[in-house]
Amino acid sequence: MDPHRLETDRRMTRARSSLALLAALCLLGLAAPHATQAQSAAAVLAQGARAYEDLELDNAAGLLRRALAFRGADALAPRDASRALMYLAATELLREHTDSARAVARRLVLADPRFRPDELVFPPQVLTFYEGVRRATPAVLARAPADTAIRPGAEALTVRLFASTFHDVTATLATEAGRALRTLYAGPIGDSLDVHWNGLDSTGAAPPNGRYSITVTSLDRQRRVVRILRLPLEVTQGRVDTLSHPPPPADSLLLPERQPMGPGLRALAPGALAGVAIVVLPSVVANGEDASAARFVVGGSVTIAGIAAFLSHHPGKAIPANVAKNRAVRDAWRREDALVASRNAERARGMIGIRAGAPVLLTPEAP
Amino acid sequence: MRRALLLIFLGFASAAQAQTRWNVSFGIGGGSEIARSRIDTTRERVSGLVLGGEAVATRGKVVARLRYGQGRVTNDTAGRDVAEGEALLGYKARPWLTVWFGPHARTFVVPGQSDRRWLQWSGRVTARGTLFPERVESFVELWQGITGSLNRPAESATGGGAEAGLVLRLARRPVWGRLAYRVEQGRASGGSRRETVEKITLTVGYTPLR
Repeated sequence: MDPHRLETDRRMTRARSSLALLAALCLLGLAAPHATQAQSAAAVLAQGARAYEDLELDNAAGLLRRALAFRGADALAPRDASRALMYLAATELLREHTDSARAVARRLVLADPRFRPDELVFPPQVLTFYEGVRRATPAVLARAPADTAIRPGAEALTVRLFASTFHDVTATLATEAGRALRTLYAGPIGDSLDVHWNGLDSTGAAPPNGRYSITVTSLDRQRRVVRILRLPLEVTQGRVDTLSHPPPPADSLLLPERQPMGPGLRALAPGALAGVAIVVLPSVVANGEDASAARFVVGGSVTIAGIAAFLSHHPGKAIPANVAKNRAVRDAWRREDALVASRNAERARGMIGIRAGAPVLLTPEAP
Repeated sequence: MRRALLLIFLGFASAAQAQTRWNVSFGIGGGSEIARSRIDTTRERVSGLVLGGEAVATRGKVVARLRYGQGRVTNDTAGRDVAEGEALLGYKARPWLTVWFGPHARTFVVPGQSDRRWLQWSGRVTARGTLFPERVESFVELWQGITGSLNRPAESATGGGAEAGLVLRLARRPVWGRLAYRVEQGRASGGSRRETVEKITLTVGYTPLR
């Protein structure tokens, strides 16, 4: 084997290896920020939980607070947020920051009244502590269908309430301004409770269109208001579509109403190209000679023929037959749509549509 | 080289025979021709009328074309007779595209001197486009000499050319007409002699209806 060739091969191999390494570093450099972002909140929570299990409490508290500080799309999912709060409450308790632990535990109870800590993960003292805070923090959570329709008096909207602990509540239907229209429930709540509204106010009349709310007030043993949950409702009379409207006719069903440009351009192109060729080709074929001007006669004739061919297709001109056919298709769709609308109106007569918004929890004063 | 080209030509011809029947079209026409000769630093421009005829035979995708024309081109001091012809065999690669191959020759006859004849074997491409369906179409034809010769002085020669124009057909009639512009240039290998010909032709033809 030629020693020079061997040396050259070795250099080539080294150069290839260096290039591959450089490419890999570039790829890593590009991927690294995305990886950091992707692990963010959930990964920090996992690190915090590990630190708690290793009894690195200061580190755990920092990590868990960091995990809870993420906002927007990067924020923890509600279930993970509950876990993070529980770990943080336990960490603060073990660090003997009892007030901080109580505040964190209360925050967890208000955010998720149904949350129960895992007995295999947390020690009895933490479980007892959380149980105490939960019992001392009466709160409810409401779940209602986002969009529904009922026949007032005959059917009812059901709102399910979940309580953190056994306590008394009152549920009222109120206007947007807060004026009570009807008391839906007043009494104790244990784990959960269904509250029904049959679409009527206290006088037996259906309320007019507008914004309302179901307000659930939590009371302590001294009958003081400790929490208010407001579930916004939007009530619409007789506008409930039970039959879906037909979609407007698809473009594929409609014929072009104007002559397209394509055929005209396809007719123009051969004439224009041949015309240009006649003008240009002498300088290409017979370089160095002055071509006669007579060629312009032929070139012009060909180009004019191309323009005439283009115009003969009447680009952009309306096509009455297609316009009439499309009108018939659209009219048929409008008739069908009107028929569906009238049937919906007939079915919706006497019905109200109810759209529920996101519930809001208010704490008038610290319990 | 010429033998090889002849063999290719005959190969095309035998392939053509394997097809169905021939469809033959005829045309006659005339046109104004301007010929510019350049011999070293001497230049000469002559012009005149050239009349001719053509026949195009089509069989499937194979096409054969014969053209012949003759006339007289003059200027204030001199005149020449000119005769030109071509025999091409073509293949329709696409409905709008035909590839050709074959010889074409042009002879200038000057009184008192021997004839000067240019002979070129060339490859050509013709593209057609429809302006009005079955009525009007445009075409552009380009050719390039592969090998050739000039007889006086005896030299090899090369060259190239182009033709473009418009073909009109009458509806349901076998008659057609063509307006075309043609330009071509032959160059002797020594570089001292160059012949450029421009031509505007009007042709009327007959194609039997099927």
